[in-house]
Amino acid sequence: MKRAAAIVLLLALAAGRVPAAGPLAAAPDPLGFAVEDLRLSNGLRVLLSADHRLPLVTVAVGYGAGTVRERPGQEGLAYLLENLMFQGSENVGPLQHIGFVQKVGGELNATTGVDKSLYYQTLPSNHLALALWLESDRMRSLAITAASLERTKAEVAEEHLGRLRSDPYLEGSIRMDELIFPDFPYGHPLIGTGEALGRLTEADVRGFARAFYVPNNAVLAVVGDFDPARTRELVARYFETIPPGGPVPEPPRPAFKRESDVVTRSARVPVPGAGFHMGFRFYPLQPGEINILRVLEVLLFEGETSRVRNRLLRRDRTSTHLSAVLDERLSAAALKVFSLNTNEIMVERAERAVLAEIDKLRTSAVSPDELTKAKRRYRLKYLDRLSTLRGRALYLIDAAFAGADMAALGRDLDAVKDLEPAAVLAFVARYFTPQYRVVLELEYQ
Amino acid sequence: MRGVVAVAALAVRLALSPAFGQERFRRTPPLPDARPVELKLPEVRTAVLENGLTVATAVQPGALTATLMLVVKAGEADSPPDRPGLAGLTARMIGKGTKRLSAEYFENMVEAMGTELSAETRMDYTTVSLRVLPEQLDRGIFALRLMVLEASFSERELAAVRREAFWGLVDRMKDPEALARRHLFRVLFEGHPYRTAAYAEDVIKFIAAKDVAAFYEAFYRPANAAVIVFGAIDGETAARRVAGHFGGWQGAFPGRVAVPPPSPNARDRVCFVEAPNAPSAAVVAGNVVMDASGPDVFPFLVLMQVLGGTTRSRLFMSLRETKGYAFYAFSEAAFFRSCGAYWARALAPPETIVAAAREILREIEALAAAPAGPAEIEEGKSFLIGNLPARFESPEGFAEGLARRVALGLDEAQWDKGPERVKLVNADTAGAAARRHLAARPIVVIAGRPEWLGPVAEAFASVEVYDPAGTLVRTLVKGERQ
Repeated sequence: MKRAAAIVLLLALAAGRVPAAGPLAAAPDPLGFAVEDLRLSNGLRVLLSADHRLPLVTVAVGYGAGTVRERPGQEGLAYLLENLMFQGSENVGPLQHIGFVQKVGGELNATTGVDKSLYYQTLPSNHLALALWLESDRMRSLAITAASLERTKAEVAEEHLGRLRSDPYLEGSIRMDELIFPDFPYGHPLIGTGEALGRLTEADVRGFARAFYVPNNAVLAVVGDFDPARTRELVARYFETIPPGGPVPEPPRPAFKRESDVVTRSARVPVPGAGFHMGFRFYPLQPGEINILRVLEVLLFEGETSRVRNRLLRRDRTSTHLSAVLDERLSAAALKVFSLNTNEIMVERAERAVLAEIDKLRTSAVSPDELTKAKRRYRLKYLDRLSTLRGRALYLIDAAFAGADMAALGRDLDAVKDLEPAAVLAFVARYFTPQYRVVLELEYQ
Repeated sequence: MRGVVAVAALAVRLALSPAFGQERFRRTPPLPDARPVELKLPEVRTAVLENGLTVATAVQPGALTATLMLVVKAGEADSPPDRPGLAGLTARMIGKGTKRLSAEYFENMVEAMGTELSAETRMDYTTVSLRVLPEQLDRGIFALRLMVLEASFSERELAAVRREAFWGLVDRMKDPEALARRHLFRVLFEGHPYRTAAYAEDVIKFIAAKDVAAFYEAFYRPANAAVIVFGAIDGETAARRVAGHFGGWQGAFPGRVAVPPPSPNARDRVCFVEAPNAPSAAVVAGNVVMDASGPDVFPFLVLMQVLGGTTRSRLFMSLRETKGYAFYAFSEAAFFRSCGAYWARALAPPETIVAAAREILREIEALAAAPAGPAEIEEGKSFLIGNLPARFESPEGFAEGLARRVALGLDEAQWDKGPERVKLVNADTAGAAARRHLAARPIVVIAGRPEWLGPVAEAFASVEVYDPAGTLVRTLVKGERQ
């Protein structure tokens, strides 16, 4: 069967065609670029977006293999595998992937989140085949040996300890995630205490790779200065004969524990200054509501004149540092606030002020001017993300995993443009309720 | 004969078939495409207004945003010696009010466009920029004009800016590498205006609004500035709008006196900067080199690649991969108006600080003494040629490159002709540059916890010990009682 596939490939290449099993569609370009969306016969989804402004190309691969796939006792497995992806494959030696890319002036990196692991490199466009060769080799034949596993485990553990040592607030952030997403697949940390990592076996790693590092659970994005026909040929050459894996189950749906919803407690984490985390969880959201939340994050926390920043840092001066992030984890999301304060009195005042600002949104509609300001900022941030080839490639992979229609990319910006104050009012009333709120006060020394 | 052909065809087919092992094309990395890769950046159109202001525009087809930037050709090195940090604070004060309009008004005006003002002060120049949605560009130009041409500086606003700058610097200096590099610049540029740039956070406290106003009056002059617009713009319209808004900017600029470069360090010198909470030690070693327009710049850049440009370079391979002295080790160079500087940098655990420092010195000496091999030179060139386009990819990168070019008056070699200049580098030019610029003894700076000083003091003939602010605490001479 594999041999037959290879011959089909040869014939197709000879005829200048590519065996794309899925429909080939060029999406329109509301964002200023077009996307060609195709699927190989092994299930690999391929997204191509040409941009000839600079002689560069980004090749990115996303695997649906984030921490949500780990089971209890496997904490750190997804991140361990991310690191092992640089330890060699059948034709590429340990760390040679990095060497090959850097040798030609390229830049590369990888990252693991809740839903997926991402691998990406930007390099001179005449080296596109090199990047495809490298990515296909590790997709096809990742080398997992006892020696590489032990070495990588030790490096990951050391790196994790280093992070904990250099950031006294990191433990509190990890604890906050567990509290706001009280369901193991969604709330457990990237590495955890390191104990589980130490116990992971070669069989665990191989099993995880076999289940999730397969073409039918991956998206390949190529963005930049390339010839589409030649690129389709190269993609087919390097990826088409990689065998598909077994059926990949959908990630588990969240099952957040009701009894953990309301929490106010101190973290037994020694930190050098007073402070707190506050978060609101949003699950389940109705279709399109995530856009309201994204604008709300901007309105409340982004820019010196945003409501909460302005109040805590300038008007009341209750906080010395304030940051906020909208943490999207598949179908769930949390708006997380982190504040540092000079003492416990200021902590209490700042907490009250955050809640008061949110309450205002519940009781009176935001003005059209303020909403326009937030929408513009959100739009600029959105477009900024697309200003680099890497940003665009990762955007496409995110969109593919989120099930977005490649022919409708950027439509969410239109939805934001049409957002009305009344929708914000209704959203705040529905979701910013105490049972979805978590407050974690830091126990400082 | 037909049988032979059939067997050969079968052999080819089997070799290509994954059922009998991997396809042959997988065994070796593919060759690059034969087509030449050419860096072609958008054309930069410049005009000089009657008041001396340079207006530069660059249209980037396909860009989704527009960037508006004021470049003032005065940086941290222009702060008076008794007011280090003044250039940076002045830049941060732009947009903090005029005689008629408050800082809050401007902040609202800028944020209503969906953006915020960003100020960067480098050694020789300053940028104040706004990235906006294309439809907001007109408002952006108007806002920038008001903020720059009608700037006023109140003590109240300065207090907030000073506080923010102070804590920002304190935060940055928690990184031992930042601390070590700042100290390296301090000792490399002793007696030179560039030393002013390596100031400790405390000095910011002494800057008053009248100092800011004086700096503004001296340097924020049209003939000492440029307004740059690029991205999703109509170049001609943008240039016209900028000319319309900034054409009335008055004030003469007497010009600047060229500052001679400092001499490179020539003696053994080891400094230890106390970083009480550092999780690991930073080791840097560097020296003064040529300025941005020097003929050796491109050979020297290739040398820096050979020394420590990537994880394949000498420092990383030696200090991390082979000897395990450091978590990482790289080298860098920066080029200014008067001179440049290079430095090797490593992050090391306490037990290998001395070994890491010695190994860095050994690698620098080796590169100065014996020419890099052709393969290393070619790999360094390959990296630079391939990587240069990536530096201009993001709006931030493009802005940085363009601002630097305009501020320092650099030619197109520092723009899209850079790869061509790199191609001309060979073993001879690199070797000559190494002899000229790497032979002088680099200064070593180690930033780490005070308890890690012992082995350092034992290893080197003399060690100058500094507190985190950079004040000399004592000098330890080997063999002398402490």
